[in-house]
Amino acid sequence: MSRFEKVLAGLTFRTATPSFEVGDEVPAFVTGQSESGLLVRVGDTVLVLPDADPALLDAKVTIKIESFDEGQHRGTARVVDVLQDGE
Amino acid sequence: MSDSSDASRTLSFYGGRAASAIPIAFFIVWAVFQSGLLGIGDTTGLIVGILVGLIVGMFFVKGPWKTYADVLFDGMTQRVAATAIVAWLWAGMFAETIQVGGFVDGLVWAADAVQVGSGLFPALTFLLAALLATGIGTGYGTAIAFTALVFPAGVAVGADPVLLFGAILSGAVFGDNLAPVSDTTIVSAVTQNADIGGVVASRLKYAIVAAVFAFAAYLAAGQTMQGTPVDVAGAGGAGTALGLVHLASIGVVIVTAIRGRHIVEAISWGIVLSVFLNLAFGLAEVSAMLAFEASQESALVQSIDALPLIGAFVVPVAPGDAAVAGSLYTGAAGFFPLIVLVLLIVAAAQVMQRGGGFEAIQEFLLERVATTVRRAETTMVLGTALVNAMITINTAAEIAIAPYIKTLGRRFNINGYRRANILDANTSALGYIFPWGGGLLAGYSAMQRLPEQYEWFTQAMVVNPASVWPFVFHGWFLVAVFLLAAWTGYGREYVSDRASEEVSRV
Repeated sequence: MSRFEKVLAGLTFRTATPSFEVGDEVPAFVTGQSESGLLVRVGDTVLVLPDADPALLDAKVTIKIESFDEGQHRGTARVVDVLQDGE
Repeated sequence: MSDSSDASRTLSFYGGRAASAIPIAFFIVWAVFQSGLLGIGDTTGLIVGILVGLIVGMFFVKGPWKTYADVLFDGMTQRVAATAIVAWLWAGMFAETIQVGGFVDGLVWAADAVQVGSGLFPALTFLLAALLATGIGTGYGTAIAFTALVFPAGVAVGADPVLLFGAILSGAVFGDNLAPVSDTTIVSAVTQNADIGGVVASRLKYAIVAAVFAFAAYLAAGQTMQGTPVDVAGAGGAGTALGLVHLASIGVVIVTAIRGRHIVEAISWGIVLSVFLNLAFGLAEVSAMLAFEASQESALVQSIDALPLIGAFVVPVAPGDAAVAGSLYTGAAGFFPLIVLVLLIVAAAQVMQRGGGFEAIQEFLLERVATTVRRAETTMVLGTALVNAMITINTAAEIAIAPYIKTLGRRFNINGYRRANILDANTSALGYIFPWGGGLLAGYSAMQRLPEQYEWFTQAMVVNPASVWPFVFHGWFLVAVFLLAAWTGYGREYVSDRASEEVSRV
């Protein structure tokens, strides 16, 4: 990314509830847990990781989106890579 | 930013974790009463306030009071306090040495020659202070240099003193926020795991918006708020262009700092050049920069005074007036009360840290307040403001709040750049807004010496620290930009939007 691109990056009004496409692979922190499994909260959008290892709480991972409901801002995903262990 | 203290040492208080805030809370109440209500801008008075606060806090400690004393020592020996102290001492010596070389007279001459009237002066001062602060990376140094040098020139041409002081502090805020070599910039990037280059690039979108509004506000306020011009030549000052050679001294500091040299080295070169220029152009005597004023009745003093070279440093005076004097002496000595105050404040902050006070604030904010991303970002802005009100050196405040900003931001996957920007902008801004803030008091310390230096500068022109806060426009606009950004999503980036580069790639 050039310096100029870095200056322009984020120069938008970003929504509080970002959307994802099924099949997207994105980095994110695992932010919490519920009865359905670990949670990744991106803004006010919540992604559930049903099969993830509970030890990954607070870890930075790459997740692959498996389903996403635009209206509810909720979806499911699975962990494809662990980028950084939880602190 | 590390120290050798025992971080595992904890304190418990009667009254719970909140009681660990007693020393700082006592100090804030004292500062508001002394500066705000009574209008007494005496730094040594604030020292007594924090000392009494520390004593009161001790009586609430459970267990041995020795642990409390040890925590005070741990706080006072933090590197961050030393960094601020070094900036004040060096900048104080530098600004004073340029001042005895007639730089202010040169500025008054230049303002007159290019017809910068009192209405335009504050807006122009804001721009120049912002440039200097961005170049040298120290807002404190800029506040000191501009208050000692540009402030009297502006007052002489009739600019409103309070507005002008606000413009100087605004420039310092801009530089502290944006400069890649600023302590606050570095701390914000490192603590949020983001690269410094990327952080600086990503913060332009906030800083420029606030600066445009601040510049316009200084233009508008400059037209309506004006002081009374002083006939400097008639009042005993000599308006001369020659003092402007010290632009070279300031240039050396900026260039050396931009080339990546430490601020101690950069300002030292500025001091060396300013001493040389003072002597080469006959702008100031040796004794104006360093003088041993010794008893004229001593035969030894008289013989040393007669010697070549070393004799220039010795000034025989009446026996009761013996002292060391000169710009290097007064430039450094003016900051001694502020240095003591800051050491005690970081000690009190350490008490709150080890007593769990900050932890209690974090838990409250996380569980009760920050329930959506908008509220989380708003909480980050207001939480930073709260900590800055308690810890008045902005870098120290930033280090204290940084872990909480990281935790809070990650709960919503807010990108490291965005977190670093929220942290740094509000720390930079509020450190110059609160009347007991380190940056504001540093400028005020420099201002208190002006009546001694200029016959025409009256005590009425000295600005009370408690009256300047509404006029630090860039600081207020920066906070407002971030509150609006939290609500509207302006500039928001998530972890999934863009990965921060490694810190090691700085």
